Amino acid sequence: MTDGRPWLDRLCERAARQLARRTSRRSFLTRLGTALAGTAALPLLPVARAASESSPSVPDDAALPGEAGDPKSCHYWRHCAIDGFLCACCGGSQNACPPGTEMSPLTWIGTCRNPGDGKDYIISYNDCCGQTLCMRCRCTRTEGERPLYLTMKNNDLLWCFGTQSRAVNCSVAVVLGVATRS
Amino acid sequence: MAAAQGTSGPALDYAVTCQGCHRADGAGTPGTVPPLAGSVGRFLGVPGGREFLVRVPGVAQAPLDDAALAAVLNWMLARFGRDDVPKGFVPYTAEEVGRLRGRPLTDVAGARRQLARAIERAKQSGERARR
Repeated sequence: MTDGRPWLDRLCERAARQLARRTSRRSFLTRLGTALAGTAALPLLPVARAASESSPSVPDDAALPGEAGDPKSCHYWRHCAIDGFLCACCGGSQNACPPGTEMSPLTWIGTCRNPGDGKDYIISYNDCCGQTLCMRCRCTRTEGERPLYLTMKNNDLLWCFGTQSRAVNCSVAVVLGVATRS
Repeated sequence: MAAAQGTSGPALDYAVTCQGCHRADGAGTPGTVPPLAGSVGRFLGVPGGREFLVRVPGVAQAPLDDAALAAVLNWMLARFGRDDVPKGFVPYTAEEVGRLRGRPLTDVAGARRQLARAIERAKQSGERARR
């Protein structure tokens, strides 16, 4: 069996041929692709999950009739009962948390009148958690707010419950629907 | 678009008064807020459970009048009680809710533990009867 080559050469050749017989280039590419896609999706998972759970049927924000105003302004109509730093000024938007923060599934909910169509909208004020205070666009408005002893209707509290971190970064104002008094 | 339909009555009162913690689907948040879905209806099957559901702080102190509160409770049991609400359940009335919320619980956790044990016992004896 010796063909005059050194033993290490023969060993390597045998190993390479066996590897080539057992595997195909396609299977290697499949596994590499899976690994790459997996590592890319992994960091997104917790944030995406919290956002989708807390707002299961959010209407299309951009399609709200008469939508007007600046989400970076405290006077923006959706902010009628917000207490915190506006996420639109902190790398997020009026209904999305900044990257690196997680939307609290627990929230306090009120209604605000949209001057564009005169309707009252149900607004969820979720805190975005996981970073220190944003410190930009501080806004405190208290329409419909109740004293601290009615905790579920008070916005002075930090609402980072059910999140990995209790550190609050900013607050969003997510539209949940239209309120009609019957 | 969901926003076009509008939410009113007990569904709106639930959204604005309860949903922030109990969530739109009644799932709650494990370790922080107890679930309603698949859980709340079982309280009606044990003695004291019907009263408990009105006397817990979140319900008794809700900023709603007695009639609206009774409507939210009945709506919530229909929506989240699923198969757990006993047959022959009589809906809450404003009068009953007004009477019960006037006697708030002082030891909420203790009362809940006691009812949870009774619910567990009822479940076990139900399973034995089926066998």
